[in-house]
Amino acid sequence: MQRNALTVLLALVCIALVAAAQYRLLDSYLLTVLMFMGINIVFATSLNLVNGYMGEFSCGHGGFMCVGAYVGSILSVALFSGNKLMGPALLSPALAPLLFPLVLLAAFAVSALCGLLVALPSFRTRDDYLAIITIAANYIIISVVENIDAIGGPRGFSGMKRTVLAMEDVVDIPWMLVWVIVVTIVCVIIQRRLMSSTYGRGICAVCQNEVAAEIMGVDTNRVKLMAFMLSSGLAGVAGVLYAHVYGYVNAQAFNILKSTEGLVMVYLGGMGSLSGVILAAIAFTLLVEGLRFAIPALNDLLHAVQLMPASYEISQVWKWVLLPLLLVLLMQFRPEGFLGNKELTDVFPRLKRWMRSGSGEADGRGAS
Amino acid sequence: MALLEVIDVTQRFGGLQALSCFDMIVEEREIVGLIGPNGAGKTTVFNLVSGFYTPTTGEIRFRGKSTRGMKPNQVTALGLARTFQNIRLWNDMTVLDNVRMARYHWLGYGLLDAILRTRRYAQAEKAVEAKARHVLEIMELEDCATELPKNLPYGLQRRVELARALTVEPSLLLLDEPAAGLNSADVDGLIRQIRWIHENFDVAIWMIEHQMKVVMTLCQRLTVIDFGSIIASGTPVEVQKNPKVIAAYLGEERL
Repeated sequence: MQRNALTVLLALVCIALVAAAQYRLLDSYLLTVLMFMGINIVFATSLNLVNGYMGEFSCGHGGFMCVGAYVGSILSVALFSGNKLMGPALLSPALAPLLFPLVLLAAFAVSALCGLLVALPSFRTRDDYLAIITIAANYIIISVVENIDAIGGPRGFSGMKRTVLAMEDVVDIPWMLVWVIVVTIVCVIIQRRLMSSTYGRGICAVCQNEVAAEIMGVDTNRVKLMAFMLSSGLAGVAGVLYAHVYGYVNAQAFNILKSTEGLVMVYLGGMGSLSGVILAAIAFTLLVEGLRFAIPALNDLLHAVQLMPASYEISQVWKWVLLPLLLVLLMQFRPEGFLGNKELTDVFPRLKRWMRSGSGEADGRGAS
Repeated sequence: MALLEVIDVTQRFGGLQALSCFDMIVEEREIVGLIGPNGAGKTTVFNLVSGFYTPTTGEIRFRGKSTRGMKPNQVTALGLARTFQNIRLWNDMTVLDNVRMARYHWLGYGLLDAILRTRRYAQAEKAVEAKARHVLEIMELEDCATELPKNLPYGLQRRVELARALTVEPSLLLLDEPAAGLNSADVDGLIRQIRWIHENFDVAIWMIEHQMKVVMTLCQRLTVIDFGSIIASGTPVEVQKNPKVIAAYLGEERL
């Protein structure tokens, strides 16, 4: 009963959000923030598979998001809207809402393949060395994309807004919000189900004692491949959503800073805690957006009380001081993150009992 | 055909010869022991048999099949399980999950089954759960199924590791110093448990052990190595009397 209640509640919230967007009750800024929350959840939880559950240290997750964003954007423009370079749309724009999941799947597949290439060195290397390899992979991906002129090179790539408009021509609903909600929920369900299966727990076994995992029959190389591929594939899907929400992609948006954002969210939430990382992704998005207002406010305040020389303005650049500082403080005072490697239901046993007292077996949606 | 044949195996690490011309045969359902002073190369033998090392020369056959080039998980799939000298449990997984994981190779479902929760997934997980619970019950561990191993006392951790190895349903079980760090009451319990396992499972046991009480009461045959070479083998009584063994190893213990 309660178990279903939670699902129903989640569904109602989602429907309410879509309805609010549909009837223009949410301004477009709030809407964008909401969508970025979802995208950040997908991005951060996918990184958590590798950095949290598997205990490896991947620092180049932004690279996979970049691959997904470009693959998804190119497909979407080539199939549904067309541009000068690619000529007219290959398919009728009316098919856009139906075939968009295929674009997501294709981006997933290509990003997962890139993840495969990074997984191979992880068979022999761990820790610092693997971190360096993944940073290198991040840079390689960005350089490659920037040097392909056909997809805009350093100028970036646009035209995805037309695909979104094409979807809205067919049925007039806020499509991107719908896609973000659907993908976020699917992504969370996938990871929750995976990590509660014995098959998926193999990832934790590799993390906690690789020798024991090998001797107990776990094919550690295969587990690493699977985790890396799933992780980078999901990051790619987050990239597609990002590109379509913005309507524009540029490789530099996925540089080491993006990867660092992912790391901050994972370490903020707690490595190996799905619900923790979801909470952290939400908190992080709110924090980043909050700083957009807080910094000018602080600037005005300090000028008003004349603590700051009039010649100096605190600009948004300070965001990139404050966010890394957050990471430093976190490592100092709570290195295990919000929830450590526990889930919300472990921290609040009553929540678990409340959910269990419903339909028995707990599965499906994330706790948050 | 013997269950395990180790034929003329030599293992070198750079210039160090850890093991030279080691021969051993383990028959089905036997309990045999491997003893020797510290650093004699006992654990090296186990690491070779379980596939962590590839022998420099020589051959290891499991049921007549050479294991050269196999990874440890492939050797496990043939029916070999082991425990470690220093306990290697997954400390952030419950005891039940630790034991469950031993069925990993035989799960028979993949990523998509796990995500889509197919019937194959449900059946496999149910079977694994039943199997794991059964082993925990046999090993008198059902009370700590939901505990984390790191919160258990040392003796219980050893027992969990043994339970995990048994869940593989091995035909050969390698025990690397199962009694290390146990008090004498625990040692008696361990001896009873190993005997019980041997009587009730179709399993051969090969153990490394320093505690003479354990090897003398359990093992049908003993092999003694020193500096990587076999210096004696035979029944416990024979080995006990062997002057070379006494000189190398047992001298101070005065059996």
